[in-house]
Amino acid sequence: MIFLLAGNPNVGKSTFFNFMTQSHVHVGNYSGVTVEKRVHHVKNYEGANLVDLPGTYNVSPNSEDEGVVTYSLLNESYKGIVNIIDSTHIKRNLHLTIQLLELGIPTLLVFNLKDALQNNGYVVDTEKISTLLKANAISISAKERKPEDQKMIAEELKNIRAFKGIELNYHPIIKWGLQRIHDLLRYDTFQVKKKWIALQLLEGNEGIYQYLDLVKEERIRQVIVEVEERIISENVALSLKGAIFNTRREFIKTIFEECMIKVEEKEHSKYFNQKIDRFITHPAYGIPIFFVIMMTIYQISFGNVLGLGNLLTGYFEWFWQNIVIVYTGAFLDIIGISGFMYGLVVDGILAGVGGILVFLPQIIILFFLLAVMEGTGYMARVAIVMDRFLSRFGFNGKSIVPMITGFGCTVPAIMATRTIADKKERLLTILTLPFISCSARLPIYVIFVSLFFDQYRALVMFGIYFLGVFVTLLSAKLLNLSFFKGEGSKFLLELPPYRMPQLRTVLYQSLEKAKRFVKKAGTFILVGSIILWLLSNNGFGGIGVDPEDSFLSVFAGFIAPLFSPLGFGSWQATSSLISGFLAKEVVVSSLNILYSGNIAAGFTTVSALAYVVFASLYIPCISTVATIKAETRSVKWTLFSIGYPFVVAYMVALTISLIARIFI
Amino acid sequence: MNITDLSKLEHGTILRFEHIDKEFTKRLMDLGIYEGAHVILLNKLSFNRLFLIEVDDIEICLRKEDAKKIEVKR
Repeated sequence: MIFLLAGNPNVGKSTFFNFMTQSHVHVGNYSGVTVEKRVHHVKNYEGANLVDLPGTYNVSPNSEDEGVVTYSLLNESYKGIVNIIDSTHIKRNLHLTIQLLELGIPTLLVFNLKDALQNNGYVVDTEKISTLLKANAISISAKERKPEDQKMIAEELKNIRAFKGIELNYHPIIKWGLQRIHDLLRYDTFQVKKKWIALQLLEGNEGIYQYLDLVKEERIRQVIVEVEERIISENVALSLKGAIFNTRREFIKTIFEECMIKVEEKEHSKYFNQKIDRFITHPAYGIPIFFVIMMTIYQISFGNVLGLGNLLTGYFEWFWQNIVIVYTGAFLDIIGISGFMYGLVVDGILAGVGGILVFLPQIIILFFLLAVMEGTGYMARVAIVMDRFLSRFGFNGKSIVPMITGFGCTVPAIMATRTIADKKERLLTILTLPFISCSARLPIYVIFVSLFFDQYRALVMFGIYFLGVFVTLLSAKLLNLSFFKGEGSKFLLELPPYRMPQLRTVLYQSLEKAKRFVKKAGTFILVGSIILWLLSNNGFGGIGVDPEDSFLSVFAGFIAPLFSPLGFGSWQATSSLISGFLAKEVVVSSLNILYSGNIAAGFTTVSALAYVVFASLYIPCISTVATIKAETRSVKWTLFSIGYPFVVAYMVALTISLIARIFI
Repeated sequence: MNITDLSKLEHGTILRFEHIDKEFTKRLMDLGIYEGAHVILLNKLSFNRLFLIEVDDIEICLRKEDAKKIEVKR
């Protein structure tokens, strides 16, 4: 049995979902963080599942993301809807509620953020609202996680009833249009009311045409144009959508006046928000503040000064080298395994996987700090601060969220672009995002920096990250001047109030990402390490040959000369880059295996620099390419996303190595 | 006059959207900006390039060129 969870963006929908179900989803204080549909079991209600739909203001889709809602309502089989409403912004939230209630499907209205509303001095009269809207209504504060709320909601869901659905008194012209469309729909069958479909069509819900094959689509479109013309010529409203909107707004106004009860006079919390915003979005200080925050985060995660991540990684490395590897080796000796198998396990698997796992503490800390930033609502301010700058390159201020996510992993970053309404800006962001250094590339930097540039640690690290951002921006500008010439852009952003991020959500979010990282280490990197070790220890001469005569050396040897101008034309360096296509972490584990742990011997300072630069910019990993294919639905752009970075990486690495040769 | 003509913290009423395409009008409505709404200009940001307005307790930020298209009266 399925219930759909719908609501506006940023109303605590994901918090509610986590609270009511067995497992967690990603939660963030930024519109549209939930980019995938998730289904989980409802607590205290055996057999019931809750589907978390993306946040939307409206049933009709503005972006891909919101199309999911229309699609689910039309095609999913569900018993009812749970509509979560931000009690502090009832007027806007009820527009979606009305559209859902017009469906006539059993609906539970959950007025969330009860505590925030009380702080403003109000309470919601749920009984009255329940009568007026003909649906069950309750008021809670999901983040307080009260067990009694959980039980109450489960009970409400068990006893959920079907009402007839509300009917608003729309303008006679609209009613006339509704009747005509309703007649034209007589050849079609749907699982929802035809009247609702007709109204959605009048509102301009393109998703309906997309997901349903209407017999009389042409005629319906004509009727809609006709209705719109009459609405405008008879001065009902400035548009058809506006006429429908106005009727709903009037209805909502009466509900608001009758159901919001003032209990005490309070100063609005927004003045506190505005005081902070004056600094954070300040034209002069805003960007420096952002950079200081980002620098601090990177220092804590990777640097030497506040290097918590560094410290933990040091311990972890010691543990791996001196405990795991030593004892596994001893164990293999005891049970009598030696030679080939011993080499595979200790030098292949343990060295390869361990080379990656040691970075786990740093990555968890980075994810944790980014999740805190997102949870407070700071990210929306960053979008404002960065809009002026980013718009010069054809981006939108909103592109900053995928970009920052991209420092963690490119895959969720590409999925986060779904909140960008403009198609061109979205594609531009997707295509240039992979240049931003994801955490998988971090091990490569850390190894090379500690081997070759130890005294300039933070500087070189920052430089590599900066280079990634720089190439992203420059590529966007180039694409804008060539493929996407002359298309304007829009920026419209809601500022969420500042909220204290909850430790449990933030912790969960960072651990979830860390888990994905470990999983990747356990699969791609494990398999990659085994294949690599086998290829590098076997050759045409038989088993256990000298690495110089191995299969790998022969294959990679063909391609290696291509990289000679960059200074790293060895077969070891080349084959590590090839295996890096599986996952970028594999580059380091490959280098570890192929150079038998002595990477420093294979590079000069200049070639190390060129290698790091090349590895940070070249072809995205296989998961990223697959995501780009899924999101752009275009073979052309997917191929572009493979070829273009290779060319760019080669050129940039060449330039940098030429410059470096002058100085070093 | 339009939103950019309001001074900081001045109140106004939205009269109409001028030359705004359908899709953007829809996005404005979704956020709660509509004809007849009471609007407050909270702040001008990014060297007067972005305008932060408040409608029904919701804070919304838009670019100058879009703010110019929203006609208001004091």
